[in-house]
Amino acid sequence: MFRLSAAFAIALALPVSAKDFSFAVTTDPQTMDPHAVNSAPVLGFLNNVYEGLVRRGKDMSIEPSLATSWSPIGNGEGWRFVLRQGVTFQDGSAFDADDVIFSYERASSEEADTSSWFAPVSKVIKVDNFTVDIMTSAPNPIFPDSIANWMIMDSGWAAANNAERPDKERGNFATLNANGTGPFQIASRQPDLATELKPHAGWWDKVEHNLSRVKMTPIQNSATALAALLSGDVDFINPVPIQDAQRLQGNPDVKVIQGIEARVIMLGFDQQPGAAESGQGASDMFLDARARAAVAQAVNVPAILQTIMRGNAEVASQLVSPAMRGYSNAQSAPYAFDPDAARALAADAGLTGQTISFKCPNDRYLNDEAVCQAITGMLAQAGMDVSLDAMPVSNYWPELRADNFDMYLLGWSPGTFDAEHPIRFLGSTPNAEKRLGSWNFGAYSNARIDALLPMIQSEIDDTARQRMLDEVAKIMQDEVAYVPLYVQPLVWGARSNIQVTQRPDNFFILRWVTVN
Amino acid sequence: MTRFFDSDVFYAFRTSPVAICSLVVTVLLVLSAVFAPLIATTNPFDPASLNLMNGFTPPMEPNAFTGERFWLGTDDQGRDVYSTILYGLRISLFVGISAVLLAMVIGIFLGLLSGYVGGWTETIIMRAADVQLTFPSILVAMLIFGVAKGVTPVEYRDQMAIWVLILAIGLSDWVQFARVVRGATLVEKSKDYVAAARLIGRSPLAIMIRHILPNVLSPVLVIATISLALAIIAEATLSFLGVGAPATQPSLGTLIRIGQGFLFSGEWWILAFPACTLLVLALAVNLLGDWLRDALNPRLR
Repeated sequence: MFRLSAAFAIALALPVSAKDFSFAVTTDPQTMDPHAVNSAPVLGFLNNVYEGLVRRGKDMSIEPSLATSWSPIGNGEGWRFVLRQGVTFQDGSAFDADDVIFSYERASSEEADTSSWFAPVSKVIKVDNFTVDIMTSAPNPIFPDSIANWMIMDSGWAAANNAERPDKERGNFATLNANGTGPFQIASRQPDLATELKPHAGWWDKVEHNLSRVKMTPIQNSATALAALLSGDVDFINPVPIQDAQRLQGNPDVKVIQGIEARVIMLGFDQQPGAAESGQGASDMFLDARARAAVAQAVNVPAILQTIMRGNAEVASQLVSPAMRGYSNAQSAPYAFDPDAARALAADAGLTGQTISFKCPNDRYLNDEAVCQAITGMLAQAGMDVSLDAMPVSNYWPELRADNFDMYLLGWSPGTFDAEHPIRFLGSTPNAEKRLGSWNFGAYSNARIDALLPMIQSEIDDTARQRMLDEVAKIMQDEVAYVPLYVQPLVWGARSNIQVTQRPDNFFILRWVTVN
Repeated sequence: MTRFFDSDVFYAFRTSPVAICSLVVTVLLVLSAVFAPLIATTNPFDPASLNLMNGFTPPMEPNAFTGERFWLGTDDQGRDVYSTILYGLRISLFVGISAVLLAMVIGIFLGLLSGYVGGWTETIIMRAADVQLTFPSILVAMLIFGVAKGVTPVEYRDQMAIWVLILAIGLSDWVQFARVVRGATLVEKSKDYVAAARLIGRSPLAIMIRHILPNVLSPVLVIATISLALAIIAEATLSFLGVGAPATQPSLGTLIRIGQGFLFSGEWWILAFPACTLLVLALAVNLLGDWLRDALNPRLR
């Protein structure tokens, strides 16, 4: 830690102009390819370099970006996008409809990690050089909302550099290089060490930032990142360790920017009958809804928020936070904490005497391991025996995909800011062909929810749609499909001369940063 | 017994305040680890006994929510730091001593074998030892830990973690013993009593164990004491890196890892008390080892 700070101190001693800006992140974006990995660190960073047809404003609303306007076609057969003229990529080539068609083919290809976004799309048609029709297999009123992270890549650049398809495993030219239309372009890139950005001179929109050079440094240990912020080595860090937020507020040199993320932290359960192929962990103990309800009633969420989260988070009642579209007000009551009832339920459901294998990440969510430990203790107090296994996120997803769990911790932030999103990924029965339920590790399944999902997706009337979303929320609550715990807080730290805009998707958008 | 009290070693011990102090401290720490269940106020390894609302209670002050007092404070999970240190000390000492015993058994056996048999056996064993010496022992321990964790079924990982730690540290530490024992064996082998034993037809195994071993034990004793301090620190390092004792059964290293996250926020006691305990333990054992080395080395007298 000290050696790192020393290295920073030397870097700081060099003359710097006022408009240089450096920030630290916990996880280095693993690729510069916008279609190769669908994860928040990658998409959040690349939003500064690439742009989509639409983008999200400071209040998360959808606004025009590479498309100037869009309108539904006929009775909901698709959407027509009118593209912006005069936009150039960072290498100087011009943007037109061919790039959109190419980016659709690339992002929806089998090699891409983003293909599930295009599940409702049947085909994409080039009408003329600056008009594109995206046809959907069923009416899809929220489609423009769902593609803000679909970034457009230059077809000529990709072809010239042999990067026409993403390559997650081996990587290709687009893994280390980028050529978008966005406000910043990559000046140098050293994976896991440092990435430098400079403004894109030919950007089409009005420039709000005043940055001339940006440096991003990955610092994994959040205490080290905090030390770097306090000493002025970096101007911005995300996140600030939650236990340090209060003390930082008394420091005039730095400021803490707090908010509520769109991410809901929840417990999931193995609900697949029969043992998993690996024969590890998975038993049938959580097939019984009473067993899941026992867990729900045994966990004292307010106590977790009071101590581990230091009063900085809100209890969640469903898979989305109240700020999301389609949040069910009717189902806003969280599970009540009742250890005695939980103990009785656990005994009824045959949980007593079995060891629950509980998987938990230790570097993905705020204080994730401490929360899992607290849950382990609370379940023990209600007579349940839990074996906790906390691991880094790189081991965590494979472990969940291999079904090696009875119970697990998951955080979900709906990319569309709509309650339909978690139903598609977490609520519907897993179905690889239809690209549904792809993060439903425990294979929760309910026929009514599966039937409601396409109706929700194509419903245009808001009241009718909300009625269906309420019904899904009620089913999932009654059946204890998941146990929503809390909405994760956002804690950013910046030097006091830095102005930033915090959005609930936890994306750090450089074009809104000013250095005073 | 009288023989021991009359011996040079005991005289050297009686006249060395450092040795007396470090022995007293070591014995005190070992006793408090052994009798932890009797002197601890809570059982920190029983998750059902924890009250999360007691979390982050400063030493000697009442908790803001529950009003309970803990004389060394509590950690983030509401565990009493004093009790947790006692139980953590238990794990640290148990792992340390067992690992040294394991390393000692392997090292003595391989050392005797290579020293007495010689030839190809010696070459292979000693080159293997040389190769292992080129890796930092903590790296070897992490490698063994990773492999062992991979092959244990997930349900048993928590119970096995301690044994895997012992195995990892023990296997990474045998080289010192093997080299010293081999050297001493080479010296002893050419002495007359070994030739006499051979003449009366004793088997090589019997000669090695009954005749040579007792004569090479005193340097082994010294290395064992110093290795114990190193093994305790190795365990703490592994647990600090998150690959040792599970968080639900913290050893001293795990406690330090947990406490490190709360240094900036002012909850110093979570880190400071376990760190001090580890420091005192490692220092006492180390000083004892140093003194033993000097006392048993006739040339230094």
